[in-house]
Amino acid sequence: MIKGYAGRVLDVDLATQTATYQPLDEDTARLYIGGKGYGTRLLYDMTRPGIDPLGPDNPLIFATGPLNGSVAPQSNRFAVVCKSPLTGGIGNAACGGSFAYGLKRAGIDVVIVRNQASAPLRIEIDGADDRVRFLPAGELWGKGTYATQAALDKKKYHAVIGPAGEHQVLYAGIVSNERIAGRTGVGAVMGSKRLKAISVNGPRKLEMDDEDAFKAYTKWVREMFRDHPVLGEKLKRYGTAGIVNTTNARNIIPTHNFKYGHHPEAMQISGEWMEDHELTGVKSSCIHCPVTCGRDVELEGVGRVKGPEYETVALLGTNLEVLDLKRIAEWNYLADDLGMDTISLGAVLSFAMELQERGMLNAGLRFGDVSGVSDMIRDIGHRRALGDHLADGVKRLAERYGGHEFAMHVKGLELSAYDPRGSYAQGVEYATTNRGGCHVQGASMYLESVGPLTINPMNLKLKADIPILQQNLACAINSMVLCIFTTYGMIPKQVHNLDPNSFTYKLVTTLFENSGPLMRTAMQLKGKPMMWFEKWLTYITGTTVSGGHLQEIGGRIFNLERMYNLREGLTAADDTLPPRMLHEPTFKGMTSGHPLPQLLPRYYTLRGWDAQGVPTRRTLERLQVRI
Amino acid sequence: MAITVELTYDMAKALGGVRRFEVADARTVADVVRLTRERFGEQGEAFAKLTRVAAVAVNGVLSNHQRGMSTPLVDGDTVTFLKAAAGG
Ligand code: SF4
Repeated sequence: MIKGYAGRVLDVDLATQTATYQPLDEDTARLYIGGKGYGTRLLYDMTRPGIDPLGPDNPLIFATGPLNGSVAPQSNRFAVVCKSPLTGGIGNAACGGSFAYGLKRAGIDVVIVRNQASAPLRIEIDGADDRVRFLPAGELWGKGTYATQAALDKKKYHAVIGPAGEHQVLYAGIVSNERIAGRTGVGAVMGSKRLKAISVNGPRKLEMDDEDAFKAYTKWVREMFRDHPVLGEKLKRYGTAGIVNTTNARNIIPTHNFKYGHHPEAMQISGEWMEDHELTGVKSSCIHCPVTCGRDVELEGVGRVKGPEYETVALLGTNLEVLDLKRIAEWNYLADDLGMDTISLGAVLSFAMELQERGMLNAGLRFGDVSGVSDMIRDIGHRRALGDHLADGVKRLAERYGGHEFAMHVKGLELSAYDPRGSYAQGVEYATTNRGGCHVQGASMYLESVGPLTINPMNLKLKADIPILQQNLACAINSMVLCIFTTYGMIPKQVHNLDPNSFTYKLVTTLFENSGPLMRTAMQLKGKPMMWFEKWLTYITGTTVSGGHLQEIGGRIFNLERMYNLREGLTAADDTLPPRMLHEPTFKGMTSGHPLPQLLPRYYTLRGWDAQGVPTRRTLERLQVRI
Repeated sequence: MAITVELTYDMAKALGGVRRFEVADARTVADVVRLTRERFGEQGEAFAKLTRVAAVAVNGVLSNHQRGMSTPLVDGDTVTFLKAAAGG
């Protein structure tokens, strides 16, 4: 077995309560790394088209990668893959916490959970003797994610669902510690299986090809991270909410159900504000991560809880016109405890508010008004009253009540907190990302809106190229399975110190904006490993991996996901943005919304797809995507 | 002519907590900096110092994607000053 992998897949059948260990497929590991790449390959091969995402035929696949189980910063995340009940296409989500570490300690790369149990149960995996126990979970059913984890074996690492997963809220997630695999409804699939929790630990140590080189290099990376303006300072100090002021200044923070990209009081929900007014001083992280982007806040009556991150403060804050950090922290805590995605939740609530404003729904929810929101979140988590409808997400809510023009989703997945009208590459990425409107499957906005060195976010240059570069890289990173924030470190410290109005800055960005052909060539270069994640992968597995390799692997994963979506009936017509984004200008000087129709054909061509957005046979052969 | 000036956290701190104000007669971003410095005395000086390495957005578009400090302004524009170091 290639080093870095435990070499085993645990295949669990909930209907028969049996579990068997199978060998990990080495060829698949080479082609797809692990994480969501390996998981997507399995899902594609294991299932027939058209299965019910909430039925027994949808496998729930937990997958780690070769870096998991090591002490490399940002490396202990796991991916969950299944057919999404929210989009009907590929479903996946990644999560930090500590569960991935536990899996690798037990000598497991991947867990496949098949079928459904007849009554609530939980699984305990003991890596010391490879025993898998199926235990009744009736007493845990109905409990929140925090109480559930507290009731489980302290020596093990857990992945659990809350009431939202149990009630199959279509944007329910899976929780490990205080982190969540939030997107695409993976928690609803776990709930449909009546699986409350998986707990795991073991004594195994990760075997590496060159452990000494890995150790020495990781020490250097830790120091570099410590010194880095984003990883070592900004994220550490303010958390991800530290970009509120930036997105607000650039008119891309969702406000009033994405009608506007700016709120004059957004500062009050920023990371800086949190540090001065709400932060308890305690910061938290996923296991072994020195970045510590999590922070704790004090909540009356509850105590110290996880502080909200950027996506949450924006979608439950400006998007609802609520500028009260304490209230947002309370809703965040509630959503985490119920086990649901705060991005989708925020978009659902704002959509309901706009429906209410237009007299199309009476949910008792109003922009800027906090009353009724906590109760509605609870009702959604338990699918009670109108909460039952809101639990189905924005797309289905629009089918029921109307309002398609301002329903903020792509392929059924609610948009994350960057308005694409002020970030064109991000818009192309939202429209084409296989799991739907999401930013961590590429993060193009980093290169055009929130990073330290931004190209013009609103001209058309490179706006079809950047999403491809970013999506491929993210596919590879999400398959290792690393935190996507590791890529922020790719922009060196010196660049962060440039004066944005200086000649040098202008020169660098102009060169970048005109680097299309060069960028496309560079994406194919397979030389030496340069970035830390390339080096880690090389030291651990013993196979040389460079940027060009990662682009190829990422492209392979992306195209396989695309083929999965096409098989499930999604087409080029689904590669679009909400009408509000396409037709309504958001700020002064704009005459229309996002120019997606102009950019999409170029994107298809660069991807090697035909005019209908179908990967050509040549593209699939070049990338070795077997279908 | 009225230009709205918005300050993000650190920039607002430099001006003693002022988050938003209006200036008249600013034809460019540089004029906004000059008028702010004149209006806020010592604090205005501190603010102007910060703007040397600050990012400036005019109606959401960064000034360096326009004409830098010479970016022209018209009535009703919003100019936002924010710390250059971004990301997160
Ligand atoms: S940067 Fe934050 S989310 Fe990423 S691994 Fe570290 S603590 Fe977890």
